[in-house]
Amino acid sequence: MKKVLVVDDSLSVARQLEKIISESSDFTCVGHAKNGAEAIKMNHTEDPDIICMDMNMPGMDGLTALRTLSVMDKEVKVVMVTSLGGVGDKFTEALRLGAKNVISKPFDAETVLRILREL
Amino acid sequence: MAVKFFGQFLVERGIVTSDALLGAINLQDNNNLKFGEMAVAMKLVTPADIQRAHNAQMSKDMKLGDLLVEMGFLTLVQMNDIVTRQKNTHLYIGEALVQVGALTQDELQKQLDAFKADQAEYVSNGIELPISSANEKIWEMTVDLTYKMITRVLDLQFRPGKCAVATVIPPRFMLAAMDMAGDVEARYIISVSEELQKSIARAILSEESVDDEPAEVLEDTVMEFVNVVCGNVAAKASQMGVIVNINPPVTVHPPAQGLPITAGYTALSFPIHIIGGDTMELILLVKD
Repeated sequence: MKKVLVVDDSLSVARQLEKIISESSDFTCVGHAKNGAEAIKMNHTEDPDIICMDMNMPGMDGLTALRTLSVMDKEVKVVMVTSLGGVGDKFTEALRLGAKNVISKPFDAETVLRILREL
Repeated sequence: MAVKFFGQFLVERGIVTSDALLGAINLQDNNNLKFGEMAVAMKLVTPADIQRAHNAQMSKDMKLGDLLVEMGFLTLVQMNDIVTRQKNTHLYIGEALVQVGALTQDELQKQLDAFKADQAEYVSNGIELPISSANEKIWEMTVDLTYKMITRVLDLQFRPGKCAVATVIPPRFMLAAMDMAGDVEARYIISVSEELQKSIARAILSEESVDDEPAEVLEDTVMEFVNVVCGNVAAKASQMGVIVNINPPVTVHPPAQGLPITAGYTALSFPIHIIGGDTMELILLVKD
């Protein structure tokens, strides 16, 4: 079972993602970080296989954290989950920094699980 | 389920890989010359002329082409020729994906049709504003997208009320706001009653009852709705060639007499009458 870390400053989005992940037999949620800095710490302590991360967060944002994670940990697969996914420049920047995919908000369980399974 | 651009749609659906898309975007970057690059490639100006115009842009809020004309480096006819050449040689992402071998022409057409159908619900229906504003198309789209997201994300039926210019932002149970910057300067505000906050929370959390949820979570769901709308506004605006940057959402707590409107701003109020009797309000605080 693959371990997933959820990173989002929104409690409600974290709840949605944790629910989708925990109801699937393929994944388990190992925690919730509220910004990029917490994500980097929890990547070290929880050693997730996948990180689902928001872009627009107070403190360290998702793209800054992605830049650090892609240098520090070559194994972890990062998927951005963001309302800004439809902004072409943001989407391209995320892929160039090493994100494996970008899921737009609002999302549905089927799309999230399909993308996580394809990683 | 959101405003997307074509490349994202293809990657999200697993039609092309992210590596293939990046390859196609790199091909576009090499092919699609910016205005200054095209002007130099057409030998109408020198790189030194472009540099001088860029330096002048530091103190003048003008597009490069307009500035090159004003500085006498280009004629108006030459500027139009450059724009036409840019349009005629523009490599679209779909064609770039064909060129890098990620799609066939037949598959491209099929996916373009699927993309059009997917995005049809986000085509603007037209909203009329009571004021004229340089960015009125953006504000009309923002209101239109808010209405669509209320239906799509919150599953609420409603009747839009007539837009009016507000002199004060009245207090409500909760106001969630997001600041917009970039080519526009505005604050997007959604104002809700306690009951509407619960309706939003039920929809966002996909729960039948939210009576046991802490106030923090209930507030967060309204902020997340604002975040989703504004993120999609930023996506739609980028398709219209306008940069809209957004900050994380916040809650606003006006005093009993309401919040006065900051000088230099106009408050556009859009009442949203929810079927069942309650009213939500969208307020766009836009810089004049």
